[in-house]
Amino acid sequence: MTAALALPTRRVEEWKYSDLARALGDAGFGDASARVSAGKVPAGVDVFDLDEPNRPDWVKAHYGKLGGNSVSAVSLAKARGGIALRIPKGKIIEDVLSLNFSGEGHVRALLVLEEGAALTLSEEFGAGEARNAGLEIVLAPNARLDHVRVSPISDAVQVEEISLTLARDAVYRAHFANFGAKLSRTELAIALNGEGAEAHLSGVSVLSDRHADVTTQVSHAVGRTQSTQLFKKVVSGKAQAVYQGKVVVAHGANGSDSRQTAKALLLDGRAEADLKPELEIFADDVKCAHGAAVGDLDADSLFYLRARGIPEKEARHLLIHAFLEDALTDIANADLRESVRGAVSDALNRVSA
Amino acid sequence: MSSAALETKETVAGLGEKYKYGFVTDIEMERAPKGLSEDTVRYISAKKSEPDWMLEWRLGAFRRWLSMKEPTWARVHYPAIDYQDSYYYAAPKNTPKKQSLDEVDPKLLETYKKLGIPLHEQMALAGVAVDAVFDSVSVATTFKEKLNEAGVIFCPISEAIRDYPDLVKKYLGTVVPVTDNFFATLNSAVFSDGTFVYVPKGVRCPMELSTYFRINASETGQFERTLIVADEGAYVSYLEGCTAPKRDENQLHAAVVELVALDNAEIKYSTVQNWYPGDENGLGGIYNFVTKRGDCRGARSKISWTQVETGSAITWKYPSCILRGDESVGEFYSIAIANNYQQADTGTKMIHLGKNTRSRIISKGISAGKAQNTYRGLVSVYGKAENARNFTQCDSLLIGGACGAHTVPYIESRNPSARIEHEATTSKIAEDQLFYCLQRGIGQEEAVALIVNGFCKEVLQQLPMEFAVEAQKLVGISLEGSVG
Repeated sequence: MTAALALPTRRVEEWKYSDLARALGDAGFGDASARVSAGKVPAGVDVFDLDEPNRPDWVKAHYGKLGGNSVSAVSLAKARGGIALRIPKGKIIEDVLSLNFSGEGHVRALLVLEEGAALTLSEEFGAGEARNAGLEIVLAPNARLDHVRVSPISDAVQVEEISLTLARDAVYRAHFANFGAKLSRTELAIALNGEGAEAHLSGVSVLSDRHADVTTQVSHAVGRTQSTQLFKKVVSGKAQAVYQGKVVVAHGANGSDSRQTAKALLLDGRAEADLKPELEIFADDVKCAHGAAVGDLDADSLFYLRARGIPEKEARHLLIHAFLEDALTDIANADLRESVRGAVSDALNRVSA
Repeated sequence: MSSAALETKETVAGLGEKYKYGFVTDIEMERAPKGLSEDTVRYISAKKSEPDWMLEWRLGAFRRWLSMKEPTWARVHYPAIDYQDSYYYAAPKNTPKKQSLDEVDPKLLETYKKLGIPLHEQMALAGVAVDAVFDSVSVATTFKEKLNEAGVIFCPISEAIRDYPDLVKKYLGTVVPVTDNFFATLNSAVFSDGTFVYVPKGVRCPMELSTYFRINASETGQFERTLIVADEGAYVSYLEGCTAPKRDENQLHAAVVELVALDNAEIKYSTVQNWYPGDENGLGGIYNFVTKRGDCRGARSKISWTQVETGSAITWKYPSCILRGDESVGEFYSIAIANNYQQADTGTKMIHLGKNTRSRIISKGISAGKAQNTYRGLVSVYGKAENARNFTQCDSLLIGGACGAHTVPYIESRNPSARIEHEATTSKIAEDQLFYCLQRGIGQEEAVALIVNGFCKEVLQQLPMEFAVEAQKLVGISLEGSVG
């Protein structure tokens, strides 16, 4: 079994820009279990501690069912405990539900939204410890999930794999703000399994140092499904920003519509950006496009601002803010949006523009 | 799909086979014993009367190859190749090389005439010098004298190894190292012929150079090796064409092409690849596993790759540029068409090392039938490549719902002053464009050819004029039987 659970190195293509084995060293993630708890749980939401015996049917039906990557398989094998949440049919929850991850080691969470349910989820992280989190999300027909995650600066290795399945007309909107870790990997595996399902992903990485990798795979398994992705990265110091996005349109999934954009601003000669927007198309009646760009701030825009008496440093800050703003406006919940904006501003102050 | 489209698809499917180069020339062949061993390598080297250093080079490559694994990362699927079940050397008897075309076996001349490549008078009118490679040997090279006057060396590589050992030693294997990859190493061990071009300082090659590769013998692999060196300020435009007979077996073609451009030099390399693609059921066809790389070694040098890939059962090919010299330029223009059961995994690598280096990638992939077509590319900007620029556009066109089009671009930047842009789209032929053509009395088949040619226009324009027309026709022919 050890071979199957071996940690990926750079030689594994999907981990080419994030050498997990090296970042963790010989110790690996170890066998410890990290913790996850839910904040204030609104009435009507089922909560189950995965450490308890006698799992209810809804947990049994979904837990560990979504195919994940090799690292997710490790968390599934080793994590003891974790949390499972169910939002019952038709329940629309206005308040933000938070999931708090802490401690070192492996941890799992399961979130099920039944038909027509709606929720805003916020993930929060303890930054101190190496953690391997696996989150499974099941969206029944017409369910809606808004998901925001802010990963604070960390000197540890932080890996999270989020696997989702979306049924008919379910909608998933997610934003991932990332400020760098020794190695940070956010991996999304999204299966649009029902017609009319939509996934809209956005994210910002503001790195003054360290590493942040966002890897996504969106599978349009059936037709008339939609996905959009917009990821913006500001990279300075000795930081490395990675985006790997794969969109798969299955045979016969006609009417799929997918857009994918990844842009990086490099602000330092030691910084690195690696982008890999990938398309895998097996149906002809589709609209699929992707764009990627890496560069410095636009010289003309900078000149325009300076010509109006704005000092260069300030002008650069303005332009960087504008560059990131695109990706922030997609956060639907106003409180969460403001909180991410605040975190982005703090991070930008650390960036040596 | 509209009913008209469906109808046409059926009509056209009935037209059947369109590969017109599928004939076999009945000519007496001399072969190396079947299989691959050190003896095979020695046999080939001896056949070519090579000096010892070349034999050693080959043997080194062969030993290295034994320890290498066949790559599996490309999106292509094929049964395991039995490297012992093939001939590594096949040559028409009655070699050695003739001094003049009049002495060449008339059967061979006839073959090239059938391929549309008359080695005689028409080429003089067209102003194109040709090296004709038949299986493992070069059978004719035209206009050598005229080129000699200009100081340009244009000859089979086997001849170059004998006559210009210093030049060959200086450049062979410096762009694609012997150990580069499985197929390149295999090629280094068993390559039989190919073309060598050297354009001296300040010389603009007076005519287009071209090589026509023909696989004729069965159960034979072709391993050609091409080396083109443009010395300071030189310019050369080179075109290669490839065809093979229709056979039910798969034949391996593993070539290596190395280009070296020194200061201010420019090399334009165009390929019209039309190896036999297999039949409509995916039977037979060439495995085209090719390593092509250009090194912009000098400042302000330029290497431009243009490829029209319509043939082969499997294409595995990534013509690349190493932009080492400051202000050097790399270009890649590609049309890859995959129909029926063809699989193409092709693209480029642009490695920006020098300051102010620029690269441009335009890739047009067309998939039809049950084919899979992948663009795989890398743009990498290193820390010292100040102000590097790249623009990439990859568009895919899908014809029918059973094929696939894939895009796998890698973008890596380590320099803040660099600017890299990548765009990709995937679409099908728009119904309104088809309707527009049909309404004006243009047949479905013709309309598709027209639209696809428009889709490919940016690339077709890059081809030397003499070949652009041929390539345009080829685009239409390759897609016949695919409309829908």
